[in-house]
Amino acid sequence: MEKLGKGIFIFAMVILFAASSAFGQEVIKIGVIGPMQFVQGIGHWNGATMAAEEINAKGGIQVGNKKMKIALVKADSNEFINVTDATNAMERLITRDKVDFIVGGFRSEAVLAMQDIAMENKKIFIGVGASLTELCNRVAKNYNTYKYWFRGSPFHDMYLVQTSFIHLGTVGAILKGALNIPKIKVAIVGEKAMWTEGMIKAAEANIPKMGMEVVGIWQPSDKATDVTAELSAIQRSEAHVIFTIFSASVGITFARQAGELKIPAMQVGINVEAQKDGFWQATQKMGNYVMTMNTYARGVEYNELTKPFVDTYIKRFGEVPAYTADTYTAIIYTLAPAIEKVGTIDSDKVVAFMENDVHKAPSGVLAYLKDAEGRPLHEVRWGPGYLTSLGVQWQDGELKGVWPNKWKATPEAPEITYSGMVPVKIPPWMVEKYKK
Amino acid sequence: MDLILFYLKKLFTVLKNEVLVLPSRVVVVLFFIFLLLLPVFTKDSYLLRIFTLTSIFAILAASWDLLSGFTGQMNFGHALFFGVGAYGAALLNLHGHIPPWGTIPLGALGAVLAGLIIGIPCLRLRGTYLALTTLAFPIILIGIIYAFPNFTGGELGISGVARLARSRVANYYIAVVVMLGLCTIMWKITDSNTGIIFHAIREDELAVRAAGINTTRYKLLAFCLSGFFAGVSGGLYAHFMRIAGPSTLEVSMSFQVVIWAIFGGIVTIYGPVGAVFILFPLLEFLRFWQDYRTLMFACVILVILLYMPDGLFRWLRDKIEKECPRCKIRNIAMRNTCRVCTAPLD
Amino acid sequence: MALIIDIIISGLISGSVYALLAIGFSLIFGVARIVNFAHTAFYMVAAYCIYVVTQKMGFHPMWGMVAAIVLVTLLGIISYKVLINPIREHEGAVLIATIALAMIFQEVMSLIFTGTYLSVPSLVKGYFTILGVKVFFQQLLTFFAALLVMAVLWVLLMRTKLGLAIRSTAQDREVANLMGINEARVAMMTMGLSVGLAAFTGAIVVPLTILQPHMWMHPLIMMMAVVVLGGLGSLKGSFLGAYILGFAEALVVFLAPMGAYLKGSVALSVMIVVLLIRPEGLFGVYFEEER
Repeated sequence: MEKLGKGIFIFAMVILFAASSAFGQEVIKIGVIGPMQFVQGIGHWNGATMAAEEINAKGGIQVGNKKMKIALVKADSNEFINVTDATNAMERLITRDKVDFIVGGFRSEAVLAMQDIAMENKKIFIGVGASLTELCNRVAKNYNTYKYWFRGSPFHDMYLVQTSFIHLGTVGAILKGALNIPKIKVAIVGEKAMWTEGMIKAAEANIPKMGMEVVGIWQPSDKATDVTAELSAIQRSEAHVIFTIFSASVGITFARQAGELKIPAMQVGINVEAQKDGFWQATQKMGNYVMTMNTYARGVEYNELTKPFVDTYIKRFGEVPAYTADTYTAIIYTLAPAIEKVGTIDSDKVVAFMENDVHKAPSGVLAYLKDAEGRPLHEVRWGPGYLTSLGVQWQDGELKGVWPNKWKATPEAPEITYSGMVPVKIPPWMVEKYKK
Repeated sequence: MDLILFYLKKLFTVLKNEVLVLPSRVVVVLFFIFLLLLPVFTKDSYLLRIFTLTSIFAILAASWDLLSGFTGQMNFGHALFFGVGAYGAALLNLHGHIPPWGTIPLGALGAVLAGLIIGIPCLRLRGTYLALTTLAFPIILIGIIYAFPNFTGGELGISGVARLARSRVANYYIAVVVMLGLCTIMWKITDSNTGIIFHAIREDELAVRAAGINTTRYKLLAFCLSGFFAGVSGGLYAHFMRIAGPSTLEVSMSFQVVIWAIFGGIVTIYGPVGAVFILFPLLEFLRFWQDYRTLMFACVILVILLYMPDGLFRWLRDKIEKECPRCKIRNIAMRNTCRVCTAPLD
Repeated sequence: MALIIDIIISGLISGSVYALLAIGFSLIFGVARIVNFAHTAFYMVAAYCIYVVTQKMGFHPMWGMVAAIVLVTLLGIISYKVLINPIREHEGAVLIATIALAMIFQEVMSLIFTGTYLSVPSLVKGYFTILGVKVFFQQLLTFFAALLVMAVLWVLLMRTKLGLAIRSTAQDREVANLMGINEARVAMMTMGLSVGLAAFTGAIVVPLTILQPHMWMHPLIMMMAVVVLGGLGSLKGSFLGAYILGFAEALVVFLAPMGAYLKGSVALSVMIVVLLIRPEGLFGVYFEEER
């Protein structure tokens, strides 16, 4: 048996030699780590591939006085199934494949562990997928160890909350105006998870301040396959709006069953599954009029970089990029220019440049935040002129951008409408019920 | 000087007459030496990481065998002990600021308590009822953990746990030495009177009761011992990975333990240990075929099971060693007569 | 008042789902003493089969059901012959062989369909309102299917020769063998029956749930809880146990909406409490000779 162990050891050494000799010194190795069997990891890999090919087509990145091409290394973290696996994959990426930079990560629990490994080895790790604030708080608390971590996408939990409240307010106002409802009733439905706890409490506190009433809070399991019980109760509470906080499969179940039962309420908030093209089929076409946050949508442009990215992605991979495809941004607009400006791939120097660099990306403008005491958080900034993300709604099989549409962040701020916005649609069965 | 020579000679004699006579013992000695000397030959941190994790899981698998193999109480919820040990160590470390060499035994004691809690209701259950009931306990614990997210960190678990030791090599040695030590202790337990009683309970509990032995006490003892060792494994895991999350309590973890143990051969302690050392690196090794990794893994298990249903190491051992019909001492298969009583070995 | 009706209807429906799964599992355990961990994995394969037939080939879900049942039953019988029968004497090996089989199914499904969430159209679309509660026709179908399956099985077991053979093998394998019953063949047919039931369950239940390669794990746990609660080897027990746990879950979801995620844990606790009082489950047969 231990002969087998020795055999593995020898085999591993052989692979190591082969790998190290296969790649010469003229490439920058970027590791892409994510759950490759799932949509999120596929997005990671697709975005990164597009970026690497684009850069290599131009001859590579100018590092000092030579051009270096990018070589991507795919690592399946399997993080949904097994956190140990994810850490092993990260370690292998760094010590075996000897990558210079890492992008990706999705499940917060796993990214916490993977981040530790990358930081120990002083490798820049741009997180594209996990929104946990703790990941960036660690940078402030322990700068010297964690400074190599940057958030690529999405912006953190609290901004997510803020944006979804804005969506909620917008929908409430539309309903009030169209259906003459004196006071909007809101049902809060969030999957049982750590990241929703804070949001649910914040919602409970804020919704009355927005002039609406909270009629109930439901917390199904994130993998619930039957929510008719909750839906019956919601219908009985006569809610006009259902504020959803879903990231897992319950988002599909809820939308499908709510659509099949024709619950007279509008769903708005966060529903990650509804961001995907496959949502329409997954809900058997019952997920109509569901609203959610999203980063990209067909036909919507933040700036002049958005359309080329989205269109090329759709043409190549057949679907709209999810926020995990922002590995593209991480490589082309964040890392590559930083390396070129600094003239070296040395992590410390690149970090020093990156943390003060404000740059444009297909999703808006990226700038990194500092906390209240001025310590760098490496967190991306939210707001008009920076990153706002989109509000999207399913309308008859198509995911359309509906927010920001004539939106003002504050009464003195300029009005923002991205090109490609359409008005919000109200479900006909709801109009029927409330229009007297 | 003479004293040293004397002991050296004694070592030699023991080696020649006790160890070298049986290939299985030679393998064990070589295994010990290989594990202890590995860092001398390689500093590759990835490889060391794999072996550290393997050692931690080997303790877990061996503890399952102690309970379910020897005492016959099939435990499909072994992840409970692992998780309680991991969470216990992590919480004590984070909130109580106790260093690892304190949290791990204390976490393990927590796992012993868990062992009592599930052992007592399970006393009246037999066979499959016991197996399926034990499956439920880790799931209930996960529910409780989700119910108190501020204390337990919910599905994110507890992060920021202190390291075992500064360097990767030190971590490795701690895990390996603890593993070799605990597994030897478990081996000694099974060889002792208690171990014989455990084995007897598996074979025929009624007869053991008829012989006047309080089987309840021994069954609970098995639960507690098994819980302790598994809890140590959990604590080591928490400090090595620096996080402790609900993934330590999942059904798939319980299933993994059962797979390792039965694959290697139950009612032996070396079976599960060897199985972990084969299967866990195998899973990592198969990474070059990322998409088919788990599929290959499951196929390997099925194929081995078809031909060696008693477990890989049982089968191997039976191929290289024979038992003498008269004095029951094991001999190398190549021999014609027993080395002790010279009876013909066929 | 409306709350009580909600609870009753919800309990009946989830109970029916568990009953359908548990009955099949109980059958094979009673007859061949095989704990088939892959039972829900067969259910998953059937679900994917229906997905392919309805979504990729565009046929009516009825055809999907037929195709699924035929395919999965064949798959079940083949797996049994090739993988389980040779090692039947070694209980431990059979256990993990079924786990490994389930893992293989999971991986193959994952390779073919990836981990994306998929869904299947209902056999009967739409809903109706009863006593103020909205119920899907598909859910009603599930409830009646459970009753139908129980009835058909009862007839099969009590009135046919095969049923007699199955019952006697379940009671005492060796004596059944002595009586001239080909015990191995009976086991194989029971396996086919059990897997066929799993496929049927897939057809009925799957439009209400989401398809993904790991969907077999959660129903497995609830199903085993039901079978243990009702008593291993007792079909009547599985049926009743399913409804008890279904109601327990419904109670949790309605009375504690903030704690809806705890419904699984509560159901399992109920099972443990019952086992403390009655170690063989509600209607379990305590096998004296298998000490």
